[in-house]
Amino acid sequence: MAQAMAQNMFRISQVSLNNVVRCNAYAFAPATSQAKAYSSASTTDKEKSKNPIQKSVFISQSTDIFTNLALEDWMYRNFNFNNHHVLLMWRNSPCVVIGRHQNPWVETNTTNVAHQGMEIARRNSGGGTVYHDRGNLNLTFFTKREEYNRRNNLEIVSRALFREWGIESVITPREDIVVKNTYKQQISGTAAKLGRPNAYHHCTLLVDVNKVALRQSLHKDDKGIVTNATQSVASPIMNLCEINQHVKVERMLGAVGWEYLRTCPETLEDGGQDLINKQRGFQLINPTDNWFPGLNKLKEELSSWDWRFGKTPKFQVNKSFRVPKEFLGEGEMGVQELKVSLEVNKGIIDDVTLKLPPGLLSTNGFHGEVDVVTSLRGQPFSERAVVSLENALHDMSTKEGNLQGKSQFVMNCMRQVMQSV
Amino acid sequence: MVQLTCLSRLLLRRKFLSRSVVSYQNINAAQYAIKIQTTFKFSDLGVQFASPDQLQPKPDVNALQFGKHFTDHMLKIYYHESLGGWQKPQITPMENIALHPGAKVLHYAVELFEGMKAYRGTDGKIRIFRPDLNMDRMNRSAIRLGLPTFNGTELIKCMCRLVSIDREWVPHSEASSLYIRPTLIGIDPSLGVAACDSAMLYVILCPVGSYFDTKSKAISLLADPQYTRAWPGGCGDKKLGSNYGPTIAVQQEASQQGLQQVLWLYGEDHLLTEVGTMNIFMFYINDRGEQELVTPPLDGLILPGITRQSILEISKEWNDFKICERHITMKEVIELTSENRVLEMFGAGTACVVSPVGSISYLGQTLQIPTTEWSTEPLYGRVLRTLTDIQYGRVPHPWAVPIDDYA
Repeated sequence: MAQAMAQNMFRISQVSLNNVVRCNAYAFAPATSQAKAYSSASTTDKEKSKNPIQKSVFISQSTDIFTNLALEDWMYRNFNFNNHHVLLMWRNSPCVVIGRHQNPWVETNTTNVAHQGMEIARRNSGGGTVYHDRGNLNLTFFTKREEYNRRNNLEIVSRALFREWGIESVITPREDIVVKNTYKQQISGTAAKLGRPNAYHHCTLLVDVNKVALRQSLHKDDKGIVTNATQSVASPIMNLCEINQHVKVERMLGAVGWEYLRTCPETLEDGGQDLINKQRGFQLINPTDNWFPGLNKLKEELSSWDWRFGKTPKFQVNKSFRVPKEFLGEGEMGVQELKVSLEVNKGIIDDVTLKLPPGLLSTNGFHGEVDVVTSLRGQPFSERAVVSLENALHDMSTKEGNLQGKSQFVMNCMRQVMQSV
Repeated sequence: MVQLTCLSRLLLRRKFLSRSVVSYQNINAAQYAIKIQTTFKFSDLGVQFASPDQLQPKPDVNALQFGKHFTDHMLKIYYHESLGGWQKPQITPMENIALHPGAKVLHYAVELFEGMKAYRGTDGKIRIFRPDLNMDRMNRSAIRLGLPTFNGTELIKCMCRLVSIDREWVPHSEASSLYIRPTLIGIDPSLGVAACDSAMLYVILCPVGSYFDTKSKAISLLADPQYTRAWPGGCGDKKLGSNYGPTIAVQQEASQQGLQQVLWLYGEDHLLTEVGTMNIFMFYINDRGEQELVTPPLDGLILPGITRQSILEISKEWNDFKICERHITMKEVIELTSENRVLEMFGAGTACVVSPVGSISYLGQTLQIPTTEWSTEPLYGRVLRTLTDIQYGRVPHPWAVPIDDYA
């Protein structure tokens, strides 16, 4: 009887030993494996074998860009990523998202975008401007700062594309994903935020995006803006559904999710179903303040004018307009130009300079510029400024009747400046 | 040396549990293939995650009514005597159960269940409150119904894994919990009233929003001696489904009279036993002028509640007042209320910890109990705070263990 008991004890202890050994196989990757090109985690081996990293995949139930950005921010600030990595997948209704240090007026035509009912949002990470709609899947990879590795994440996406649809892709040095044998059209763009103790890397995945809407909203005219803000690099893009018609966003959720769960976090080894069974699986997330206290505050900040437009680095808008002949004084020849220069700081018009050609001055003197300038100063750089300008010029023209034509012209020039951005 | 708990000794003694205890018998080669286990093992747990299209969208926290919503996964463990006993535990997506129409659970209520909670603490960790007590109680219930028993620690570990997978069903606010419902049913497809050869143990989870709703308002009770919940020699001290089904009509009767819960009385003396699905406590001034906390004893009519036990143990630690487990009659309650010596009466249970009683309707008269009025620092409030401090991790305590530390 004692022998049977002893046998049992031995068997039990052997089983648990096997489990421990299996765990360690993932933690202790030999240096010669293909993973050596990637950064390794700095947590001690003892910690790793005691508590292996578990992964979760979260899918947001919301399609509002501000809610989702707030959720991302909430998790970055509040979630505990000790031995727990999270992939958050989210989609938005059509909108334009600019990088942290960008100038929305440079990157897109704010008036047009507003007319189309799309939001402009500023995210917390750097990088360029992107267009989102429901055909675009956003992936945010959350880890502790020490375990942050962008290339690994993109490698997982690349593997998922192959495993599910046989699509072969490469990761460029700029960390875009490009499908092989295409004309270098990228299907993904990447940005990241590193902090303490958490960090995230997020990227887009173009599955079935409306390319016409994308082109229209990201179209940049020469608006005469001089700025230090990060400029986007326009790149040719394509949809995954153009390569393989079976690629759909719903299926992509599963494809990327399962690949993320089956891949070992440090070594990128494919652990298969065995590794999947040790993770935490998929969860839907309802991003409301009740589920995540403090979320509403973040959402309000992210949707405020001050954040989206006010955070723009200082810039200058310079435009010149040909003055029509009828406004020029008699005897004036040649082409004359009205030059408008606006200085915008924190989204507010700091200074306006009008350089009037001599011809535009009449015997009465065109004093209107003084009122024009003062009425614009301190206004946010938006349609509102044009309205106040109109009022100022209207007041002025009632005082000096025959200047109507000229002031109309000046006002039109100003409006053009505002609407062109 | 394997540590034997009271329960294992009990099992060994009982002859009818001839399901052999593996380590204590010589097994010959023929039997080796179908060795009967006394328990399933957490190390055998298999997991199958719900894929994105199988997930349930999460409702708004305010819409989370108790027991109406379930999480995405469940734990299932089968028992088949013909296959050697307990099978491997499985975590699967939440799904319906298919049963043969002759399954014993459907005919003779061969069903038992447990109720416990996992709490998201102030440090973000999720803790389970005294699960070992629920496991002991569950095994005692199983014996009564002729269902197989198991090692409670293994089930706790499996449940911790289940809660860990579905932990995002607990809001990140500070007063949220997950209700855990382990259930054991007999699924033998034969109509004889006998012990089951096949059974299924499963665990499902319900998200519970903030419990700071109107539970702290005093409730009104119907005390009608014509209805009996439990009787000597019965199984009122086991958490069986068959104890609760027949109470539904009585609860309806109470609601029709505008009252919220039923106060269960027993016998000629109209002994107070339980209130609704909770244990009952009375805090009063005794004959010597001292404050005394009293609750019915575990004499077979009373479910041994874990909250009840925790309250008694905490009160003994405080040592601020006398504590007594004894019978309480309605006659006594009437006398005490007429002399204004009853300070508080409250129910105790997992769902809301304590539930203060405001009035009792008994044989045409209504007794008013000043539970929520007699003091600014009532006992039930102190108990509530102490227990929730432990459950939500504000005060470290061996009673509440984080689920990550169990596995």
